[in-house]
Amino acid sequence: MPSISTPTAYATSRPISLDRLLADRDDLWRGRRRRPAPARSTGHAALDAQLPTGGWPRGKLTELVPDRAGGGELDLLLPCLAECTREGRSVVFAAPPLVPCPQRLHRAGVDLARVLVVRAPDHALWAAEQCLKSGLCGAVVAWPARNQVNERAVRRLQLAAENGEAPLFVCYPPGCPAPPSLAALRLAVHAGGELEVLRSAQGPGAGPIRLAPDNVVPLAARRQALEARA
Amino acid sequence: MRKPSLWTGVVCPRLALEAAGRMRAPDDAKRPRAAHDAIGGQLRLVAVDDAAARMGVRTGQALTDALAIAPTLDSQPRDRRAETAWLEDLALVAYGFSHQVALTGDGVVLEVGGSRRLHGPLDTLLASLDEALAPLGMTTRLGVAPVAAAAGLMARAGVRAESRDDLERTLADWPIERLELSPAERRKLAGLGLKRVRDLVRLPRFELDRRLGQGVGRYLDQLRGRLDTPLVYWQPPETFARLVELPVPVRRTEALVFALNRVLDGLEHWLRVRDERLTALHVTLYPEDQGPKIAFSAGLGQPGFQRDRLLEILRLKLEPIRITADIERLKVEADSVSGQRPPQADLWSGTNINDAWPALLDRLSARIGEDGLCGVAPKSDHRPEKAWTWSKPGTTAVAEDTPERPAWLLPEPRPCRVDALRLIDGPERIETGWWDGQDCRRDYWVAHDERGHRLWVFREYKPRDGWFVHGVFG
Repeated sequence: MPSISTPTAYATSRPISLDRLLADRDDLWRGRRRRPAPARSTGHAALDAQLPTGGWPRGKLTELVPDRAGGGELDLLLPCLAECTREGRSVVFAAPPLVPCPQRLHRAGVDLARVLVVRAPDHALWAAEQCLKSGLCGAVVAWPARNQVNERAVRRLQLAAENGEAPLFVCYPPGCPAPPSLAALRLAVHAGGELEVLRSAQGPGAGPIRLAPDNVVPLAARRQALEARA
Repeated sequence: MRKPSLWTGVVCPRLALEAAGRMRAPDDAKRPRAAHDAIGGQLRLVAVDDAAARMGVRTGQALTDALAIAPTLDSQPRDRRAETAWLEDLALVAYGFSHQVALTGDGVVLEVGGSRRLHGPLDTLLASLDEALAPLGMTTRLGVAPVAAAAGLMARAGVRAESRDDLERTLADWPIERLELSPAERRKLAGLGLKRVRDLVRLPRFELDRRLGQGVGRYLDQLRGRLDTPLVYWQPPETFARLVELPVPVRRTEALVFALNRVLDGLEHWLRVRDERLTALHVTLYPEDQGPKIAFSAGLGQPGFQRDRLLEILRLKLEPIRITADIERLKVEADSVSGQRPPQADLWSGTNINDAWPALLDRLSARIGEDGLCGVAPKSDHRPEKAWTWSKPGTTAVAEDTPERPAWLLPEPRPCRVDALRLIDGPERIETGWWDGQDCRRDYWVAHDERGHRLWVFREYKPRDGWFVHGVFG
């Protein structure tokens, strides 16, 4: 039984709540709070605050359900992907629905030498699985086709993700019902960059999350700035 | 001071039997075995196994006689090509232990005196040699002698004579038949009443030369180390190519991978002794009955040799190939560059990302194909549809600073109707291409569609007139 008369300021006779005494000890674990799961910052402070893990969970599956193909998921992920490439790890795009614009990626800070695009839709999930199993990638983003979305395929990816620290993102085709899975996180991505937490360790989110379009400088604003300078 | 040389002999006592036996079906394991060859217009046995010998079958017997004695005898024609291939493999392994390797008829001899500092004491060296020979799947016997000429003899008897005195003592007790003499010389010696090597050595030299010619005397001097043995040293071939006859024609991927794995043994030795790194492997499969041959290549992103990685690539390459006929032969050729670099593991994690990443790319491209795996790179062009290209993964590229671009580009701009769009930002005028005949003038706008998605659209004036959607923000 540890003695309470630790060399801190307990010598005063002021009554101290037991709760505070225990809270001061960092060698006691009282089972109140879960140890935070390892996560990687999303790069959006507003979103980090809303997610139970404080970021994209590492080595876990995050499901994104966009309204339409290319409907905001890439802008959402770009800060995290840029961070991965800065650490020297590659990011994998498995069967993206459109062409990721290199100028936009570069502007967001992504090292283009560390971007790997798998363009064969038939093998995209297999490739994503291999990349995850290798434990070499910083992040893997997969856009499965409608006929590839099933519980077994998603489960396989999820198991592969647990081999490493890379967050795995699966973006479902718009209008495709997401299969039952044990994903750590499922987000809906609405038009205009609005997000909604559909499922997380703390249950669904309270309401839509709006990310400030901080990385968008409208041309009109640029022109005004130029005119002001002139 | 130069170390006294020491030679190790490796012989394959069952070479003819085992080389011919590759074509045997494995379920006949219990039957006595032999190999035969045409000698003087008659098929005679050249090798018999223990089971056959117990039944009274002897080397040199006519095949018909042998079959009369032992009707279950499984005799196969001698396969000299396989024997040569096997001896080459053996020499390749031996070359890993010494640079002085010479082929004898039924094995190799190699100088190990100079390698002892590297490989440790003789026991250790012989043990590691034995271990290296095991994957060849041949029965081998080792022997040691201080001279090259005697090493093969010692190996055949399984004797280790490390010094000249040991060798003299061992040889002295041997019957003369064990020496490599021609039948004529043997007959003459028997006629002289000489039985053991001791008797031969005791004979005055001029007597020996007068009765038998100089050959026997010279051979004896070489054996005892009084005369140098002329040797033609074996050199590993410049390029690696192997033609393998499969014991049983197969078409299953696993069986083919198994056969390829055997070839990789030889390749691994070859790469090591030639100090080369593998860059690509070309495999040709020959079906039975002269069917169309199947060829495929497996390239490595980073030169090197890692067996499990290579096998996996080969398996991935084989899987999509539809093999309609059984394969009876396969040929493997290797492309390589010089400068072997052993794989190094990261001190902390035990894996090497610099080696592992190219390995992962190799595995992916083996299944997906080179085209399916790429990076995306900017190109210096003002026309946005020409300002990007698929590139090789890992290509370093820096994009020029441009005004705001959408995250997604359509592979080609698509015509759209403007009445459904709400223009919110723009225009960005792009007027370019007059120098290559693809003159264009357009205004790019950021627009909202009716569902609130941000699109990147442009109004083109030249060469065609109209509105097009080119990208999606998000």
